[in-house]
Amino acid sequence: MKKAFYPRLAADGIRKNRQLYLPYLLSCTGTVLMWYIMQSLSVSPLLKEIEGGATLFVILPLGKWVIAVFAVLFLFYTNSFLVRRRYREFGLYSVLGMSRGGIGRIILWESLISSGISLAAGLVLGILLSKLAELGLLNMIRAEISYRFTFSAQSAVSCLILFGAIFALLAVKSLIQVCRSNPLELLRSENVGEKPPKANWVFALAGAILLGTAYWMSVSIQNPITALNYFFIAVLLVIAATYLLFMSGSVALCRLLQKNKKYYYQKHHFVSVSNMAYRMKRNGAGLASVCILATMVLVMISSTSSLYFGSEDALNSQYPRDTQFTVQLKDLDTALDGSGIARLHEDLAAVAAEYQLEPQNQTAYTFAEIFGQLDGSSLNPDYTSVFAADFNRIRQLVFVGADEYNRVTGADAHPAAGEALVYPYRCDYAHDTLSVSGLTLKIAGRAERFISIPDAGENIAPVLILVVQSLEELRPLASARIGNGTAIMLLKHSFSYDSPADRELTGKVFVRQRDMIFQTHYLRNGGVALSLSAGCKPLERDEFLSMYGGLFFLGIVLSVLFIFAAAVIIYYKQVSEGYEDQKRFTVMRNVGMTKKDIRKTINSQIVTVFFAPLFFAGLHLAFAFPVLWKLLTLFNLNSLSFVLIVTAAAFVLFSVFYALIYKATAHSYYDLVSSSDGKAA
Amino acid sequence: MRLLEVKNLKKVYKTRFGGNAVEALRNVSFSVEEGEYVAIMGESGSGKTTLLNILAALDKPTSGTVLLEGKDLSGIKETRLAEFRRDHLGFVFQEFNLLDTFTLEDNIYLPLVLAGKSYREMNEALAPVAEKLGITELLKKYPYEVSGGQKQRAAVARALVTGPRIILADEPTGALDSKSSDELLSLFRRINASGQTVLMVTHSVKAASTASRVLFIRDGEVFHQLYKGENTAEQFYQKISDTLTLLAQGGEA
Repeated sequence: MKKAFYPRLAADGIRKNRQLYLPYLLSCTGTVLMWYIMQSLSVSPLLKEIEGGATLFVILPLGKWVIAVFAVLFLFYTNSFLVRRRYREFGLYSVLGMSRGGIGRIILWESLISSGISLAAGLVLGILLSKLAELGLLNMIRAEISYRFTFSAQSAVSCLILFGAIFALLAVKSLIQVCRSNPLELLRSENVGEKPPKANWVFALAGAILLGTAYWMSVSIQNPITALNYFFIAVLLVIAATYLLFMSGSVALCRLLQKNKKYYYQKHHFVSVSNMAYRMKRNGAGLASVCILATMVLVMISSTSSLYFGSEDALNSQYPRDTQFTVQLKDLDTALDGSGIARLHEDLAAVAAEYQLEPQNQTAYTFAEIFGQLDGSSLNPDYTSVFAADFNRIRQLVFVGADEYNRVTGADAHPAAGEALVYPYRCDYAHDTLSVSGLTLKIAGRAERFISIPDAGENIAPVLILVVQSLEELRPLASARIGNGTAIMLLKHSFSYDSPADRELTGKVFVRQRDMIFQTHYLRNGGVALSLSAGCKPLERDEFLSMYGGLFFLGIVLSVLFIFAAAVIIYYKQVSEGYEDQKRFTVMRNVGMTKKDIRKTINSQIVTVFFAPLFFAGLHLAFAFPVLWKLLTLFNLNSLSFVLIVTAAAFVLFSVFYALIYKATAHSYYDLVSSSDGKAA
Repeated sequence: MRLLEVKNLKKVYKTRFGGNAVEALRNVSFSVEEGEYVAIMGESGSGKTTLLNILAALDKPTSGTVLLEGKDLSGIKETRLAEFRRDHLGFVFQEFNLLDTFTLEDNIYLPLVLAGKSYREMNEALAPVAEKLGITELLKKYPYEVSGGQKQRAAVARALVTGPRIILADEPTGALDSKSSDELLSLFRRINASGQTVLMVTHSVKAASTASRVLFIRDGEVFHQLYKGENTAEQFYQKISDTLTLLAQGGEA
């Protein structure tokens, strides 16, 4: 026997089965390529230099591992498909007298050749495309673009090791898969009579119930925090329901249609419905996977692109002005007295003057803040119980004296003593009174104007702004404490301004002012402030862009990978269907089905089978939207119509991709089915 | 009355690039009378299957004509052919050609459904046929659940249910054991006795001996034919067998 016998046989096997091997090689190359890109980005020296880029180095490695885990699952799926379709060929070798060892050697050589090709191609393409990806990412986070080319040998080596290991596992799996079965079985494996699919009503019903529950959860949850907690559960429910419905529900539906004799025994339903039952039994799992991949892509792309394109809005809602300080004051007297606050303002102005910076749109006011759970018209400020309680009823009360309110907003509000005007934000308030720990205020009406609340952007609780005659009225609450000794009422002073200067100077002044407050106005240094929260919009913008740009980038990369995976699964489905339907359609032609009818039947079947996942993905997305929207409000996205448009655009774009994939793969199916068209039995 | 008339049929297969031409049928002429039961015999490669495919309008002859009830098959448009096959011809195949996704009942309904019949009509057509073939009890079963003989009976039912002018059978006993073969052949005889015209291609002497006439094909031509006439089954069997021996030795009849 010649030395190169087995390698030659293996190479031949790959060449002759290129219809099956090509998509597999593409899958391998694709995953290697993607992983290398993420890996090289996460060690990219260019990205390390970016200001605010720290979040990127959380996001990119995360993406890397998601890709790795997905690659393992996906490659195992495609590989087992590949091996299964070749049982016959191996069976034939075996009958012709090749030992198991021989077959094993062919499989090993094939694995060796295919992994060699995909590793080489994946790495070369990865190295070339990683620069492109880097430029794309830099552009997205609006960082300075550099065309310097970097190559990380360490990334290439770790990529080789990781995927070498995955490919080795795949080879071992194929060996076990083939060598376990006996030759006759291998030879006959494609001709086993298949039992008719039984409709599993219990599973179908369970699927419908689970899906209903998940959808109901999504629509009925009002509070973002609750949404966050239940989102994961809803996702798991939807995944389980999708598998159950595609695998059992579809068969049950076909059986139901078959029972309706009038519907079933019609030319266009007869063949389709009965074939569909088998098709769904075999392909249910694959189609459910495609559906879930599609849903993931849609959710990922719509949410990350909403965040990215809405990041400026979110930034503005969190930072209404360029620079913003909020100090917590020692007590009510400090707030009412005002002399400590005046000194703070002088010092801040002095720092600005030192840099010739003239602050504009200055806003300053003092307010009192109480968090608690609202029961009817009474607020319970006990934090310890609040966290165990209903998130929907948490409110942030913000009390402002009428003078300050009128000065800042330009309104003309004059509540009497013991009265308050209310401005509900993100909620409503319909009661005539409001009481907190024994203090009861009469609600005299609505305050007309919103006063921007410094930390409302970060807090997601609904706010009640209450305009009172003077903060003096809150005196009874000044010393009130809850069980663990914390004061229920915090007094704060907020100061913000816009800066006409550029990012650098604005940032520098901000840092100096912040340090100055720490050094001279803190309580322990003889000042009035207990704590400080401060932010500078131009500096924060970098953080926002790097985080949302990074997430969007990851969303795009993973979407490309998932779409690719869906395409390969669909392709393999079409091919295996094609092989099996070949014979079936020959028979139909023999008993007098016209070519036109056959084409019509084929069409309606593939269209139903392959667009069902898209339809359900769309449905999942529609029902996920309420939850997504609530989660996005946590990130300060406030425009519902914007998020709706982005989501709809993501769906349309995805549908176009999906239709293209379908068109490309349906071709291979038609070729297979019609190749036997002219022949008789 | 002449039901089927085949005149000077010739079929030449060319390889794809016009290289060697293979003559599958050279010059075949014969006719089948209404109510006849004709068997066509010949060795593998003698052109039997080509002939049957042409009769079934699944293939076109290079030259020559096939007339069914005086109507030229080549005159039927490609788009009407499937319909024509469905309405005038019934097929029985060696490999049964039942769809494994259908119950036997649905398999039998298939040509009727394609013809756009209502469920009531189909049901009425099925009952007597199923009764005659003794498969009434099996109708709800799937092909994989029944024996080869039962599958073939279902296939015969499918061929009969449309009330075809002629049944074309291609090696119908080829995949059956001897007991099932005997049953199927006696079934064919009974069907024929009730007036149904049957044309069967086979190389089983036993199968051929149930026919009323046997045509022998060699090298693409009708070489000889035998009538059962007054012969007993055994005598006819012997005659066919002798002719085959002669055929194999290459002599003239």
